Amino acid sequence: MANERVLLVDDEEEFTQVLSERMEARGVGVDTAANGPEALEKAKAAPYDAIILDLAMPGMDGIETLKRLLGANPELQVILLTGHGTVQKGVEAVKLGAVDFLEKPAEIDKLLEKIHQAQATRMLLVEERAEEKIKDILKSKGW
Amino acid sequence: MSQQADRLRREELAFFGRVGAGVTHDMRNVLSIVGEYAGLLEDLAALAERGKPVDLERLKKVSGSIARQVKKGTETMERFSRFAHATDEETASFDLAGLVENTAALAQRRAAQAGCRLQVELPEKPVSVRNNPFSLQRAVYGAVDLILDCPEKDEEVTLEVASQGAAAEIRVSGRVAGGEADGQWADQVAGLSATLADLGGSLETSVMGETVLLVLSIPS
Repeated sequence: MANERVLLVDDEEEFTQVLSERMEARGVGVDTAANGPEALEKAKAAPYDAIILDLAMPGMDGIETLKRLLGANPELQVILLTGHGTVQKGVEAVKLGAVDFLEKPAEIDKLLEKIHQAQATRMLLVEERAEEKIKDILKSKGW
Repeated sequence: MSQQADRLRREELAFFGRVGAGVTHDMRNVLSIVGEYAGLLEDLAALAERGKPVDLERLKKVSGSIARQVKKGTETMERFSRFAHATDEETASFDLAGLVENTAALAQRRAAQAGCRLQVELPEKPVSVRNNPFSLQRAVYGAVDLILDCPEKDEEVTLEVASQGAAAEIRVSGRVAGGEADGQWADQVAGLSATLADLGGSLETSVMGETVLLVLSIPS
């Protein structure tokens, strides 16, 4: 499987720095964003296999950021990684379209497993879209 | 238990829970960072076993960062301990400035989420009061909550503590994006006023343009 590329969104800079370094050492490409608006900009500019998103951030919080990310691109694979966990927030996030919810501190191997799954799901969605496009073309040509 | 007493108890519990939840969030962040550094040390050790030279400067930096986070976590727990122990006695003698400083520190993350920053101005000498420390913490937090609607990012909300003769004052001020009070705000002000009345004190509010000033007075 191709190396994953992820966007890590958290206002704790030290956390994103260390986690990025460890993930990059394991072959995952990582971009970081310190807040919701920055995350939205970066998600618009580049394709990511997964977005790792903190729930409690100053200004635009994780739930609002999640809504806007998925509003712009419903196929985005967003994994919530948060120290602010409650079952209620987790359920809310999944209902809004997050693919998973992990509580901090999370083991890197578990996080990477979720990222692998997210990449596989994303590739499947890309393939399905391509198939639909081909079917449409064939239909329009009457073949 | 009367309805009023029951409602008060629920409000106090909700307040305690809110502060507790904020502290657990902060501590999870500290533990996550320490956990990641521990993982990084494991990674570096694994590389060293495979022949990569050990970067001593790097190790020193990592150990310094871990120490910093442990200090941050310890401070957070000390603050929460002071907050929690305010329930030990219904009436106690304490330094009001210390209580306000501790409460503001615990409210800092809440302020940051609202795009504000709390700035505390303390007097040179302690301001000694005899009152209900837990209820006073709740009043200070409630006053800060009323002003957490900053029109610009990272704007300051100021808390000043001063002795004014037979009373001690906590002045909470800041610019509010919402401008004039709405119905909900008015209800919150009424609630805060009632809390202070129970403590033998009073609340004065003034709104000048975008700036709101709350003056909490309690007998010293």
